[in-house]
Amino acid sequence: MMSLAEVSPEERIELADVPDDDARTRLLRLGFLDGRVECHQQIHNGPVVLRRRGSEVALGRALAREIRVTRSTDTPK
Amino acid sequence: MTATQQPNRRWRPSDAPETIALVGAPNVGKSVLFGSIADEYADVSNYPGTTVETTAATVGSARIIDTPGVHGISSFSEAERITRDIVLGADAVVNVVDATQLDRDLFLTLQLLDMGVPTVVALNMMDEAEADGIEVDVDALETALGVPVVPTVAVTDTGVPALRRQLPEATAPATTPIAEHYDALPDDIKASRAEKTLLLEGDDPTVRRVEADELVADGGASPLANAACREQVYRERRTRVRALTETVERVGDTERALTDRVGDTLMRPLTGIPIAAGLLGLIFYVIGVLVAQRLVGFTEGVLFAQYYNPAIEAAVTRLLPGVVWTEPIEFLLINDNLGLLTISVQYVVGVLLPLVVAFYLVIGTLEDAGVLPRLAVLTDRGLSRIGLNGRAIVPLIVGVGCVTMAVITTRMVGSRRERLISTALLGLAIPCSAQIGVIMGLLAGLGLVWWAGYLLVLLAVLGVVGVFLDRTLPGEQDALIEQLPRVRVPRPQNIVRKTYTRTVAFLKEAAPLFAGTALVVSALDYVGVLDVIVRGLRPVTALLGLPAAFGQILVLGLIRRDFAAAGMTDIALSAPQTFVGLVVITLFVPCILTMTMTLNERDARSALLIWVGSWAAAFGVGGLVAALLGVVA
Repeated sequence: MMSLAEVSPEERIELADVPDDDARTRLLRLGFLDGRVECHQQIHNGPVVLRRRGSEVALGRALAREIRVTRSTDTPK
Repeated sequence: MTATQQPNRRWRPSDAPETIALVGAPNVGKSVLFGSIADEYADVSNYPGTTVETTAATVGSARIIDTPGVHGISSFSEAERITRDIVLGADAVVNVVDATQLDRDLFLTLQLLDMGVPTVVALNMMDEAEADGIEVDVDALETALGVPVVPTVAVTDTGVPALRRQLPEATAPATTPIAEHYDALPDDIKASRAEKTLLLEGDDPTVRRVEADELVADGGASPLANAACREQVYRERRTRVRALTETVERVGDTERALTDRVGDTLMRPLTGIPIAAGLLGLIFYVIGVLVAQRLVGFTEGVLFAQYYNPAIEAAVTRLLPGVVWTEPIEFLLINDNLGLLTISVQYVVGVLLPLVVAFYLVIGTLEDAGVLPRLAVLTDRGLSRIGLNGRAIVPLIVGVGCVTMAVITTRMVGSRRERLISTALLGLAIPCSAQIGVIMGLLAGLGLVWWAGYLLVLLAVLGVVGVFLDRTLPGEQDALIEQLPRVRVPRPQNIVRKTYTRTVAFLKEAAPLFAGTALVVSALDYVGVLDVIVRGLRPVTALLGLPAAFGQILVLGLIRRDFAAAGMTDIALSAPQTFVGLVVITLFVPCILTMTMTLNERDARSALLIWVGSWAAAFGVGGLVAALLGVVA
């Protein structure tokens, strides 16, 4: 499984494993663990911006490296 | 209405009227709605024991409290803890939901209902939802939630009368799906429905409170901690939110708004860095030049120096009989360094007030436009090298305008550790605009090479101190998790209201603190301690290769940084000496106002460490530069 830091922009993914407890809970609450999300921007050596239903969240690089993702096969919701 | 019984109602005395809390995510228009729903502004204050301002007002016979924006009721941050406390103490809440972000915001709504808090939902930003092609079936949402839902557009007051009428109808369903989990909690537990919900979600303050009541006798693992199943509860709630959103919301196809694309360009380094640099220049021009120099120059130099101070001095001299025992009193009240009625008032009203207002206007505009979180994304990469995350960019930018103000904004920066690092960097290596004017003048006389050298020394100190603190302070760097609000054209009404609220809260807190500091320093001055300090500094000035007169400049610098810079213009120094002097006064202790705010925002120990640290940094680096330049004989 690849990490969130390796995803290319515009790609649709699912966050499969977020090891950090706080980060997981906060992402869960915002709906980012509900399924498909879009990797909106990969800032070189900087944060990753995820997008879902018009809502955006930025995750620091170090955190993004820990997060395991799968490429989404879901139909769009 | 069934008011849930809460033991920790510290926000509400027993004879007070009913309390309604206004709760919602950040940037959903809460404060605008607050302004239009309230009868009048009652009071602005910092929440007890914290530095987060809250606003309260009356609406009919009830009291309404605005709360910091949150995505859920829990204790992840200071803002969340405050909102949680206010909600637990309130009789009802108005839950402000962004109609364009139903799927995100209904989590908080369902959580409030799970807690059994009587609620009215204000479905705000209906105009933006329409523009986005989002249709919300308000009746279906009301039926599904079982509480009143009122569509509103806060900025135009649309739906506000209806919302006011619905306030007494605030309610919560008798039971919600979370009740299935209550069995996991001990049977005999003395906790309200709200607390039971928070216990299941493993909310630490609630667990501690209930445990203290239960007096758990066996030393083993607490049954409450075992019962917590936050993730499961959250997941189930998210499932309900998804199902709900799918039934009440229809999303049409629309182009991405222009403002969204503006937001993207701000975060990409290639476009974002020039834009940020431009913004920085503009902020520096507005706060540092227009306000800190021109406007303050007028208030200080004309209003106070020519009119207010002479009038007060004359009045005091006339009122006090010119006898021996009144002399110290007269000194405390009207001395030229920090007199309580003259210079102190001048600092607070003539210097701080214009800066504070200007600063809050600028920050409010950036906040309202949704720019700040994107700047944080842009700078996260660089700042993570010195133990900070992107959020720390705000204090550092503001610091160039006014360090005192910047210390206040460090409250926006995540954890305690990061607040300490950013405050230390501000106190040490960021010169304030008041000082920069004079410093730039002196350096301009020396030439461009010295100017570049000066910047280089400061950046080096910033980097070294940042890395040092990052390595030595306990704890881990906080990862950036930033929910990015929409980019929009700022709404002046909103900005003015926030600026007013914050300025009042600031003055209420800073004025008494500053008055106290002024009295203490004046007293020290009167008994001659300040003179002793100047004499004590002689070996140090010698170490720097500077004349003894520089000691006086340092003493001035203890009070205000720009005084020190201004003092430098009065003594004859060679180019390298001037350079060493400027480096020293930049790194030297923050001004009294900054220290007062540091004490207020952090704690005495951190403030003292920063103060002592800046002595060490100023003379360490100054001595080193002096040795390299061959200033010391």
